[in-house]
Order: sequence, then C-alpha cells, then structure tokens
Amino acid sequence: MKALIRLAWKALFLSEAPYAEMHNDSNPMLHGLVLVVLVALAVALAGLVGTALEWATTPNLSDIQGVMLEGIQQMPWYQELQNDPEFRETFRQQYKLWWRIFPSLFGAPNITQAAMNIILMPLGLGLVWLLYGVVAYLFARLMGGQGSLPQTLGCTALAAAPQLLNLVTFLPYVAVGGVVGAWTLLCRYVALKTCHRLTGGRALAATLLPYIAFLVLASFIACLGSAAAALIFGGGTSQ
Amino acid sequence: MKELLQLAWDVLLFRHETYARHVARTDALKRGLTLLVLVTLLAGVVSLVVNVVGDLRPMSIEARHQEAEQGIQEFIRSLGSMQQFFDLPPGFEREMRAYMQAGIGIGFDIEDLPTRLPKPVGRVLRDLGAFLSLPFSRLAGWMGYALWVLLVAKLLGGRATVPQMLGATALYAVPHILDILGFVDCLGPTLGLVATVWGIAIYVKALSVANDFSIGRAITATVVPTLVGAALALLGLLALLIIGLASG
Repeated sequence: MKALIRLAWKALFLSEAPYAEMHNDSNPMLHGLVLVVLVALAVALAGLVGTALEWATTPNLSDIQGVMLEGIQQMPWYQELQNDPEFRETFRQQYKLWWRIFPSLFGAPNITQAAMNIILMPLGLGLVWLLYGVVAYLFARLMGGQGSLPQTLGCTALAAAPQLLNLVTFLPYVAVGGVVGAWTLLCRYVALKTCHRLTGGRALAATLLPYIAFLVLASFIACLGSAAAALIFGGGTSQ
Repeated sequence: MKELLQLAWDVLLFRHETYARHVARTDALKRGLTLLVLVTLLAGVVSLVVNVVGDLRPMSIEARHQEAEQGIQEFIRSLGSMQQFFDLPPGFEREMRAYMQAGIGIGFDIEDLPTRLPKPVGRVLRDLGAFLSLPFSRLAGWMGYALWVLLVAKLLGGRATVPQMLGATALYAVPHILDILGFVDCLGPTLGLVATVWGIAIYVKALSVANDFSIGRAITATVVPTLVGAALALLGLLALLIIGLASG
C-alpha cells in the first residue's frame, strides 16, 4: 500500500518512470483499482473533517434563513407588496424552495453528504477511472498503441494522483479549484504515452478523444432527454 | 532551500545557464512547483497576518456600522460620477442606499448568530483557508494556460517534454514575490504590474530554453493562446449579437 502511494506521488510529477513501473507490474489492473479506492477514501475522509469544521464554524442554516426573511420583509419593495395575500403566499413558497436548492449550490456544509462521500467517492472515481481507461485503451489501440487493457487501466489509475491535492480540504474553506482537472489530463497523457509507447501527437489524440466522445454522448443524451420531456409535457398541456 | 533561493535569484536575472541547468534536471517540475507555491504563500503571508489580526480585534457595533456606512457612501459617490454616462432614474441613489443598508443589516445579523465553535476560530480558519487557496488558484491558471502553450510550442517545433515545459514555465511566479506589498496603496498595484511584466518575460525565456527555439517562437507560443481565446470570445459575442438582431 505504501509503495502504491509512493508511486502515485512520483506520478504526480509527470515523469515516465512510475507509469513504466505500473506498466510492468504483475497485476496492474488490481493495483490500479486499489490505488483509486485508496486515494478516493483518503480524500473523502479529509473532506469529512473539513466539512465538520466548516459546519461547526457556520451558524445554523435555519437561523440564517429566518434572519434573511426578517430582513427582506423590512425592505421597501416587500412592504409595498405585503398587503396582497397572494403575493405573500407565493413569496413564502418560493423562499422555502430557494432554501432547499441554494445552500447546496453555494457549498453550505453538509455533514451527511460528506459522510456519504466515503462510499460514493470511491464508487464515482472508480467508475470514471474504468470508463476512461476502457475508452482510452480503444483509442490508443486505434492510434497504434501496444499496451493491454489491464496495463492501460493500471497506468491511468496513476492519473488519479492529482486528487491527492484534495487532501488539503481537511482544512475548511480551502478551494482547490480547477487544478486537479488540468493536472489529471496531463497525467493521463503521460500514462497513455508511456503505456502504449505512442508519439506525442498520437498520445495527445488518445488522451483527448475519450473526453470528446463523452461530451458528444452527453450532448446526445441531453438532446434526447429534452426531446422526450418536450413530447411528454407538450402532450400533457395539449390534452 | 539555499539552492532554491539561488535558482530564484538567477531566474530573476535571466541567467541562461541557470535556465538550461534547471530544465535538464529530472526534478525540474518538482523544483518549479515548489518555487511557485512558496512564492505565492510568501506573497500572501502579510495579508494573512493583517486579516487574522483584524478579525481577532474586538470591534464595537458602532464602529462596524460606521465602516459599512463609509463603504456605502463611497459607492454612492461613484454612482454619482457615473450619472453623466448613464441616465439613472430620479431617486435611484436613495433607493440604492436603502437596499444596501438593508443588505448590510442582514449581513450583520447573520454575523451575530451563534456558532458551535467560538467565532474567532471560524474567522481564523476562514483566513487560513483563503490563504491556502492562493497557490491552488495560481496553479490552476498557470497549468490551464500552459496546456495550450505546450500545444502551440509543439506545433512550432518545440522539443520540451511535459515536465520540462511545466518545470520551466513555473519559474514565471518568482517575481510575484513583489505581491507581498500588494496591500500598500498605489505602490502595491504598481509592483503588481512590474511583477506581471517580469513574469511574462521569464515565461518567454523559460519557454525558449526548454524547447530549444528562438525567443521569437517563444513569444508566439506564449501569445497565440491568448489571441485565439480573444478571437473566439469576440466571435461568440458577434454570434450573440447577430442572433439578438435576427430575433428582434
């Protein structure tokens, strides 16, 4: 386990040696899976600590909700409209609805969600690793790559190393931001280049094509979904 | 540490051998990243101390309200100066002031709500969080841009590997140590501008050394992603404008 974490740390700095080591491993797929799960577990646990600290240093959300409502009710525009009972009722409903949606959108601390991440994060990261690995393997082979599927999965598992940056979230209010995504992309490029012994251009294509494929698929599903929704709801209103 | 300081100094002075030796090392990326993170943290440390001291200093309710009122007055003054450019409706300033005061009042009421841990702990953790987020924000911007520069450099015949390229361009952060004085009025922004220009010059030099090509090509590789981005943004705006005009 220690050796795997050390390998992931080396992989973070994009040298080909750790990827080559994983390529030559006796069971790269299993070790890759263990690494992805370990990284995800560590990140989820750090996130739980950070979320708990944030929760403990933030006022109760229902108290904030009450204070904001009082403040809004004292504003001139509300005072002007408050005599209309219909407005009051609509506003009350909308306000409740906002408070169900917005806190999670703006990152309000949610300990239950953070605790659930201990299960969800290994599952999510594992699924992404598997999907990306399989599709990248197909594209890498199309580009003339020589690696096998287990070797590809082993090497792309090392590309989960940038997730280690999220360990810093054990401190609340730290924003890691987009660096993990960009770094993962670079790690995946080095992983595919090393695993399949591809040239720079071909490795770049093999790295980016799965992203494009997922994007096209997601757009297609979104279009299909909105068409289905239009059919269902359009049909519903015409009846 | 002494070696890193020497590297930083030589980088600032554009010493060619230093750049070449740095790029040739197997740990170029690790060293570049270490410098980038250290410089960013050092530059932010004064602001962290100022913020923590400010947050831990007990402040009376009157003083807080006075500070907020000053902020509102400044904003209203800036609105007044904008009146010559925009046709603001009568009473706009008065209404704006009322809404701002109400909003700030809500903010103060939320600030006064109890928390499970003592308030100062939360304030210090918030300041620390913002401080530790600084390197990540710099890393994201630098890495995101470097990906495109890497692509253009390759098209121009660049020979750097990914770690060499990133390890070299990370050196651009060194002059940003000047951001440590960012909180000083007038001097701070001026030094910020100097650091930015100096940083860009280091970026170009590092790119040229890492890819073993001319400064001209390095400038092209540095500038092209910005130009393409600006052109795409302009095209997007134009498309929106045409769609808006077409739809009436």
